[in-house]
Amino acid sequence: MQPTSSMKEEFLQKWQMGLQIYRPLIDNTSVSERRKAIKLSADVAMASLRRGTTCWSRALIQKTATEDNFLVRQMLSGIKAETLINKKLPKVMCHRKIVRRSKKILRRRKSRSAIEEVAAKARKLVKKKTQGLRNVVPGGEFMSNDVLLIQETLDYIVSLQTQVNVMRSIVDAAEAGSERTAYYLGKPKFAIEDG
Amino acid sequence: MLEGLVSPESLSLSYADMSVPERLKWLQQHQQQEVLSLSSNDSPDLLQILQFHGSNNDELLQSTFSHFQMVGSGFGTNYNMGFGHSHEAMDGYISRTSSCQIHSPDTMGVMLKNSEENRAISLKNKRKSEVCLIIVKTREEEKTEKKIKVEAETESNISNKEASSDTSKETSKGASQIQKLDYIHVRARRGEATDRHSLAERARREKISKKMKYLQDLVPGCNTVTGKAGVLDEIINYVQSLQRQVEFLSMKLAVINPELELGVEDLSVKQFQAYFTNFPVVIASKPSVMVDVPLFPLDQQGSLNLSVSNPNQTSIDAPSESWETQSQSLFASVLR
Repeated sequence: MQPTSSMKEEFLQKWQMGLQIYRPLIDNTSVSERRKAIKLSADVAMASLRRGTTCWSRALIQKTATEDNFLVRQMLSGIKAETLINKKLPKVMCHRKIVRRSKKILRRRKSRSAIEEVAAKARKLVKKKTQGLRNVVPGGEFMSNDVLLIQETLDYIVSLQTQVNVMRSIVDAAEAGSERTAYYLGKPKFAIEDG
Repeated sequence: MLEGLVSPESLSLSYADMSVPERLKWLQQHQQQEVLSLSSNDSPDLLQILQFHGSNNDELLQSTFSHFQMVGSGFGTNYNMGFGHSHEAMDGYISRTSSCQIHSPDTMGVMLKNSEENRAISLKNKRKSEVCLIIVKTREEEKTEKKIKVEAETESNISNKEASSDTSKETSKGASQIQKLDYIHVRARRGEATDRHSLAERARREKISKKMKYLQDLVPGCNTVTGKAGVLDEIINYVQSLQRQVEFLSMKLAVINPELELGVEDLSVKQFQAYFTNFPVVIASKPSVMVDVPLFPLDQQGSLNLSVSNPNQTSIDAPSESWETQSQSLFASVLR
């Protein structure tokens, strides 16, 4: 699946809606706060495209809710209930370190043929990588099985691509706009006055 | 007992010409008739035939065939002739089909008595065709251990159906969807374990590998890597690079656009494209790494900007890093 233009449009609309919430507070904010506002509203817009059906979108909304509860509530007021925001993240399924240690102890007496060792190493590597994937995908720690993890990753990648595409086009359009005005007015490029 | 089971004209087809899948289809067509016409059969011979307890293949073949011949004499001439001239050469085929037709709902119930009789009887009409197929498969492989597999497979299919009836999964070869049942047909290969757990595990593994294939298509540059670990590595790198891009772009937008104004309110994607391509001159003079304007991908479905705008870069990570280094010098005065 690839990002469709309808997805991009919807993302853009939601993102604009989120940024409008910030606009009254614009005057004396720093770059970092603006950046945070942009990023958070973009994340919530991306997650709300899925309307709560996927695990990563719920986890992402909850994560941004911890940073800016007000924004999330405003953006999602029409679509989803407070339940989505208030729902606590589920507890981690198991304490992996403890499980791993006990498994290691149990496994001490297994056979040590060469082929099995290679296969065991390969399996360990794959497990490490899936753990790494869980760390990257939002809400990955709460996905109990691998099938779900891969499904969520697929969906998350498509949504990220949408987000990046739209953001980049906006940035380039904005750059083009500022450059155009600079060009025509003879001002130096990158005239960034306030910080 | 076998009356009405087989219509004489259908049997005039020579069995040698039909391959297994055609035979299966033929059987499918006659399912309905059989269901309607079968009465309760209590013959112990049939039970004996269908209960594969410790009997050899050849014995079974011969017993089925002899039984069939016994009964076949009651039929019309067509029927007999169909078998009469060919039985030496094709007793295998005949007994295959005959064993499929012989069983009745009640024998099915008996056969599955070991595994939850009530469920089996309630599912008997659907099970019939499936067991029929499994018996056919058994003949093909000619391995005694496979008989246990057959029962195990049936059992696992029952359990699978109970467990996951609403997910649609792929079927194994040869067992093309006879009826619209939503459970997985996992084919146990030669010499592999056949208990319920390993079958379920194999089904799970096949699902995972199918999804990994989708991921490989989605992530650019993943086709060259083989093995799960490499593909997962690429996926992780790709997701991380996408996340970094988002952060970077939001920073850039925050700098360029102090008002947080995203432009025209009802801007559609087409308008963006048009707006942008109207000013190629200005853009070309800009020493930017990021974008070549004509390649601007707003309505270009499919490729991410990344791979389009930086054809020289081989890896996906490199572009984002080069942006960051270049732009950092740019925004050095602005950043805290």
